[in-house]
Amino acid sequence: MTPLLVAQIGLTLFVFLMLLQSAAVMVYFERKLAAFLQQRVGPTLVGPRGVLQPLADIIKLMFKEELRPGAADPLLFALAPIISATAAFAAFAVVPFGADTTFFGLLDQPMRLQVADVNVAILVIFAISSMSVYGIVLAGWSSNSKYSLLGGLRSSAQMISYELSYGLSLAAVLLIGNSLSLTEIVGAQSGTWFGFIPRWFVFLQPIGFVVYMIAGVAETNRAPFDFPEAEQELVAGYHTEYSSMTFAMFFMAEYINMVTVSAVATDLFLGGWHGPFLPESLGWIWFLVKVAALLFFYVWMRWTLPRYRYDQLMRFGWKILLPVAVLNLLVTAAGVLYFGL
Amino acid sequence: MTVFYLFASIAVGASLLVIAQRNPVYSVLLLIASFGALSGLYILLDAPFVAVIQIVVYAGAIMVLFLFVVMLLNAPQEDTEFDARTHPLLRPGPMKFGALLAAAFTGELIWALTRAGGGSGGFAGGAVSSVEALGRILFTDYAFAFEVTSVLILVAMVGAVLLARRDDRPGSRF
Repeated sequence: MTPLLVAQIGLTLFVFLMLLQSAAVMVYFERKLAAFLQQRVGPTLVGPRGVLQPLADIIKLMFKEELRPGAADPLLFALAPIISATAAFAAFAVVPFGADTTFFGLLDQPMRLQVADVNVAILVIFAISSMSVYGIVLAGWSSNSKYSLLGGLRSSAQMISYELSYGLSLAAVLLIGNSLSLTEIVGAQSGTWFGFIPRWFVFLQPIGFVVYMIAGVAETNRAPFDFPEAEQELVAGYHTEYSSMTFAMFFMAEYINMVTVSAVATDLFLGGWHGPFLPESLGWIWFLVKVAALLFFYVWMRWTLPRYRYDQLMRFGWKILLPVAVLNLLVTAAGVLYFGL
Repeated sequence: MTVFYLFASIAVGASLLVIAQRNPVYSVLLLIASFGALSGLYILLDAPFVAVIQIVVYAGAIMVLFLFVVMLLNAPQEDTEFDARTHPLLRPGPMKFGALLAAAFTGELIWALTRAGGGSGGFAGGAVSSVEALGRILFTDYAFAFEVTSVLILVAMVGAVLLARRDDRPGSRF
């Protein structure tokens, strides 16, 4: 085994474990932040300042009984959470999160901080996010419960509607970056304009960024677009009938999807690992800071905005977001053609 | 080559199972598996763009709609009592038509396969793998076919909207 191969395998394992624990960190982060926004203290009992609360949650979930409704479809009922979790992990594989590095001289040649360098990375992310719909749809259908089914149907309708805007906002960025590879797009965002404005695509694509973030919230089923699991009307939506670790898999998939959407937004719009003050080799710190800021925004939004009505969501998606995304793409294409960016 | 046979056998096996299923939801899922294997074949052919588009468009978008329709209609299990005993051509109208269509399609496939056999990679002067080359060839050599296809899809879309539209005016057909 060459050192490069060992490093690659190590990196893959590292990303996997980081994504696993990112769900736990996000649970703590979200509970604390929610408590702060509602003038409570949040979890305090388990560990110092309650930092071990996610661990307690996991242990509780593990010791719960695994239930399956008698009328459920056994195969698909078991398959649905697996699809959800797999899609969540797989999408991050093509996301680069740092500049090329030799790990302080341990390797002969520099290695890219990315699990798989695919030259159509944007499309791979888009493909995997479109596959993750199946986990939710199948969970809703196979449970054989009206709440689950309604949750699953709503979710698929919502995801299909917002996937178009999501894809169009990505397309505008790849027009500017002139590449489908995330590494090249991040590379195109290094340096500054006039010496002080970073060359981030968010400044060229402000509308695209807003469309991406709104569609990203809808894709991850987070508030204010959390219709698939609107508890007042649907109990818990598509995962009503799930318990114990199968429920945990859906839960984890939701948080990992949030991390992935934020990481992709960082790479596409916020300059990835480029930032002032730090040397290129420590760029991953900037990456983490930007992703954390976007995740904070997610949580902040959840505890600030009330849930939309379902018809409002559909009208907004088709009649406002989609035309805006199409216009943005057209204007971007014209601009690229005219200025020859 | 081993990988090719792996993907090819998954694609063929899953496609066969699609029509062997009683439950339409399983059929849809097996078709997705078949599309996934096809996309693997495209990667082997050094066409990652086409492979990913295959997943995005077919496995992602179109099959979600299929699944949606199957779930919404709550399609019952197929009635096998009658079908199993009679010859396809002796069954009622729609089935007879389906059998004829299948026969015609098989004939076409055999015709196409016998004609295409032997020659390898004779498509428009070499492999078209990069996005740029694909876009260029779509909008120059195949511009007419491309535009005609888009008009066809537009017509289908307008038709679907017209059929689904609820018109409350008295005396309206729809």
